[in-house]
Amino acid sequence: MGVPAFFRWLSRKYPSIIVHCVEEKGKECNGVRIPVDTTRPNPNEVEFDNLYLDMNGIIHPCTHPEDKPAPKNEDEMMVAIFEYIDRLFNIVRPRRVLYMAIDGVAPRAKMNQQRSRRFRASKEGVEMVEEKNRIREEIVQRGGYVPPEEIKERFDSNCITPGTEFMDNLAKCLRYYIADRLSNDPGWKNITVFLSDASVPGEGEHKIMDFIRRQRAQPNHDPNTHHCLCGADADLIMLGLATHEPNFTIIREEFKPNKPRPCALCGQMGHEIKDCQGVAREKQGEHDEFADSMPASEQEFIFIRLCVLREYLARELTMASLPFPFDFERSVDDWVFMCFFVGNDFLPHLPSLEIREGAIDRLVNIYKDVVHKTSGYLTENGFVKLERVEMIMQAVGVAEDNIFKKRKEDDESFKRRMKEKRKRMKTEQQGPAFLTTGQFAPQALGRGYRPQAVQNARHQAYDMRMQSSEQHNRNAAQSLKAAMRNGGNSSAGPSNSTDSRGMKRKAEDSDSEPEPEDNVRLWEEGWKQRYYKTKFDVDVTDEEFRRKVVQSYVEGLCWVLRYYYQGCASWKWYFPFHYAPFASDFKDIKGMFSDFEKGTKPFKPLEQLMGVFPAASGNFLPETWRTLMTSPDSSIIDFYPDDFAIDLNGKKYAWQGVALLPFVDERRLRAALAEVYPNLMLEEVKRNSLGSDLLFLGKAHPLFDFIHELYRAESLEGTEIPAELCHGIQGTLNLDDDPILPDKTVMSPIPMLRDILQNMSIGVKFKDPQYADGFEFKATLLTGAKIPNKVLKPEDWEKRGERGSWRPQLGFNPNRQQAHLDQSGFRALRYNSVTSHFSIIHGLNRNQHSRGQYSNTPPPSTYQQGNYHPQHSRSHQPFHRKTQTHTHTHTFYFYSTGLQGAILLEHV
Amino acid sequence: MAGERSEEDVVSEYLDQNPQLAQWVETFRGYCETNKHWIARREFILRNMEAFPTVQQGVSCNSLDRLLSLSMVWANHVFLCCSYPPAVMAKVKEMGEGIVVKDAPAQRTTIDGVMAKGKRSATNEADAESRVKRAKCGPNELDSRPAGRAPSRPAAQKSGPPPHAPAEHQPFFNRLYKTVAWKLVSAGGFGPNLDHFEILRSCVESCKETLACVIVPLKDITGLPAGRTQRDGHVCEIRCQAVYMGTGYGRDETAAKAMASKEALKVFQGRKVTVKICRRRYEGKDVEDLMLLDEQPRTQGFPPALSYPFQNEQLDGGS
Repeated sequence: MGVPAFFRWLSRKYPSIIVHCVEEKGKECNGVRIPVDTTRPNPNEVEFDNLYLDMNGIIHPCTHPEDKPAPKNEDEMMVAIFEYIDRLFNIVRPRRVLYMAIDGVAPRAKMNQQRSRRFRASKEGVEMVEEKNRIREEIVQRGGYVPPEEIKERFDSNCITPGTEFMDNLAKCLRYYIADRLSNDPGWKNITVFLSDASVPGEGEHKIMDFIRRQRAQPNHDPNTHHCLCGADADLIMLGLATHEPNFTIIREEFKPNKPRPCALCGQMGHEIKDCQGVAREKQGEHDEFADSMPASEQEFIFIRLCVLREYLARELTMASLPFPFDFERSVDDWVFMCFFVGNDFLPHLPSLEIREGAIDRLVNIYKDVVHKTSGYLTENGFVKLERVEMIMQAVGVAEDNIFKKRKEDDESFKRRMKEKRKRMKTEQQGPAFLTTGQFAPQALGRGYRPQAVQNARHQAYDMRMQSSEQHNRNAAQSLKAAMRNGGNSSAGPSNSTDSRGMKRKAEDSDSEPEPEDNVRLWEEGWKQRYYKTKFDVDVTDEEFRRKVVQSYVEGLCWVLRYYYQGCASWKWYFPFHYAPFASDFKDIKGMFSDFEKGTKPFKPLEQLMGVFPAASGNFLPETWRTLMTSPDSSIIDFYPDDFAIDLNGKKYAWQGVALLPFVDERRLRAALAEVYPNLMLEEVKRNSLGSDLLFLGKAHPLFDFIHELYRAESLEGTEIPAELCHGIQGTLNLDDDPILPDKTVMSPIPMLRDILQNMSIGVKFKDPQYADGFEFKATLLTGAKIPNKVLKPEDWEKRGERGSWRPQLGFNPNRQQAHLDQSGFRALRYNSVTSHFSIIHGLNRNQHSRGQYSNTPPPSTYQQGNYHPQHSRSHQPFHRKTQTHTHTHTFYFYSTGLQGAILLEHV
Repeated sequence: MAGERSEEDVVSEYLDQNPQLAQWVETFRGYCETNKHWIARREFILRNMEAFPTVQQGVSCNSLDRLLSLSMVWANHVFLCCSYPPAVMAKVKEMGEGIVVKDAPAQRTTIDGVMAKGKRSATNEADAESRVKRAKCGPNELDSRPAGRAPSRPAAQKSGPPPHAPAEHQPFFNRLYKTVAWKLVSAGGFGPNLDHFEILRSCVESCKETLACVIVPLKDITGLPAGRTQRDGHVCEIRCQAVYMGTGYGRDETAAKAMASKEALKVFQGRKVTVKICRRRYEGKDVEDLMLLDEQPRTQGFPPALSYPFQNEQLDGGS
């Protein structure tokens, strides 16, 4: 679920699920980097067994980062990926398993989304270049300066798709990386490493889920394995809950919305491309020493503790006096299911359910109501009970009308508030027209500035006069420039005949931004009719068509839930419409779905490339395949429009809208490709084949000799892993054709890294445990699973009459030692207080110390520069500057003593 | 309208007579296709089946797939507003000629409309005028102005009206505004039953100027949605002193001229007229043009220009 809104909503509603990571950084000594010893206990005061990496969340930021300069070539990208993995490994320090999963070919249901993303990316790229050129031209004409276009090979992020050379290369590099770390890093000594590269079908996170699910279902699985999954997608939270493992943590980069980005044209911070003025770059720091440093620091990581989320959910979902016994695990599954209504990668979300409008809370309320009336839960092991879902949908449907009306009202009042705010800001910015400066500058009372005799008043007056006239001149020059910029036709005609460009800019800046028209107007009577007419081009009376849409959606809900709990039910199924139906349309859905087609096969990697790439990215494909995307005689030319419409669908930005792309007809695609298959070269045939998961071990691992023996015996059959050798992990091993073997040199695929001459690792093909057709993975806690200690404050804490106040738990460790000052610390403080006033913010009551002139100073958090002293007009500066240096002193002392506890020193 | 209806009837009659064919054709229907879309596409397939001689009933083969693919291209263009490479578009347009689609969905905000600013509003009139508006790119074959130079033309910014042009033209149009106002008063006010072209012409001539009309047959304009093209019909663009005044569409040249004049006269219904330099499309590029505007804020873009008198400043800059 690519919706950032979901994670934001979740972390606001359930704040305790988030724990900040403690990261031990490598030290540097005489220019040599000392690696962190990851065999030592985890500084986060918790030990993880398994670390799973959803590699696509790592590949994207490493290959085209948003907050730092992009790597120059593919080799640098690979190194960046290695470093990122190292960093994660250092934070999490898994003790048993490291599982790396790269997205392979996805189910058809996901392909439509991928297709739309790639078509958009290619379109946006082209438009960005056009826009850049246009603005550049304008700025140059106005006499502005724009740094020359850097000529660099644009990295087409579309190549991060299974089947491309890049992905093949990445898999090779990762094998090298794993062999290197297993041989050289003591922290990896006992780790079993799994690599599932792009040649293995399935999305990365779902391959991981499949691994967990299949391990859980076999008897040797340790029910108290502590899992840690890395990835930023919100649906990882759903997936984690769906495993019903009690110890499950997600690690991701801290979510920082609206990070400043440099202007795409001039590379400076602080404005967007459309506001680029082409002014010379300001010096950063006194000698321009901060020139290339971004204000944003390195991304921090956070843990999301699913066991805490489960505690929260238990509170929210627990229902008393049900007609049947309450089962928390089942209600978690229902909660996950309801989250799909609000957004997932496979279905458009229902128009009436918007996460920002508290849709999930609404659903939970409805759910608790409905469960009383039904005889059970909505789902079981990933299978949906449709008649119960219908009741939920109908309840949402009743409210639909009001939801749309309220949405409109909220939208309007938001706009009104913003308008007022802008107005307020404007008036606040305007200072008085003239302010005396220098000795005559206004001074605040009671600040201890002793008035001094005025010296040389005449000269001061002259200065002030000159200054203000200079200001006038500057203003005049500015307005003259502006006039010239607008073509100098201010004398033209009787009207305001500035040229259209000038007009347009003005209109954009003004308060009422014209909005894209919304023809559906969901808030007005007849919305349903209009929606179906504009979105589907059918009348609301076309009952048959509407049923079709609803049926597809119902199938979709079943497919998605099954995908999360049992794995991919059908590689073929997809939702064949661009829009969702209304909740109120879900009538008589009970019989709408029986089962999915059995035995469907995933696409081959190159086939999938043909399905998701626009013609512009055709260079990743063989020549004859590429012509199918452009030639008028191609039998699949209709899949590749070179331009398409985006329906904003009530949203504000194009990227939120629906791309109206035609769907791919699988039969015709396969038929067309059958003719060009013979044109594949050997290398391409290899890339197009389905691969296998790989398992790697170091020499110290108990399983090492066993695998080595397999190679010596050249056993051709699959061999089961003896459970006792590998923490109860099961699976089938097969010999690799081009294996990594101990004492066999591993060649480095990257010129700047050395070959591994003394390899101590071994690699082998791995296959997850297999189960009979129709086997149902149970969505329950395993026997023997211990639920971790509670973190949240018990609701009846006060009533229970426990002694002491509740101490919230901040990290993983419930008994963490809190920092405190010892006696000598206090003595030191008291000594300081003789010469200066101070206040201790935490732990001590700061008012008990000697009361001085400044003891009412606000706590340091309000001492932010700029906010505290609102910017006044220029003539104010001498006074202003003075106070600012003053603030500097405060902050400096605050930080320098910060180690001993938060102490604020005040200097007189 | 009667002719169009019978068109559909002919198809269904034909299918009634060939039930086997009907059954076979029905298998091509996409699951998510609405009745309306399918009926239109079915007609496309049936009409063009003879052109693919190897297509045999009941047998699927490459040439059938090509026909199906082209029918999808056509439908995607008409109903989803997708566009394809020019060669494909030209082919489909030809194949789809004569198929009438009633009230195809209004053009949704296209990607280039929202990507840059997210603010430009969509045009959604379904009348003849918007067809001209949607005539975006592609070389228009003009019959009155030389356009042969167009491809070798320097960048759009280089050619264009000089910045002082609006000021120069404004006095004339102020006079014309008064003349038109009096003329309309004597004609009984602005309305649909006037001879708009005659009124505009006489006014302009009484101000000692002439009207320049450029008329282009509709079929020569590429980039139109195939579903709505009609073979006959012309588009007319009126300028005076190189200042653009209006565009109109009509069945024949006179009707087009009348419609364009009507559009031009509409501008004179405001409290004043103003000459401005505005951006608009011409031959698929953004150019700056001199436009006569009323003071009402324009919510939609201008129709693309059919002629462009500012190809080269030195030649006919201010005239």
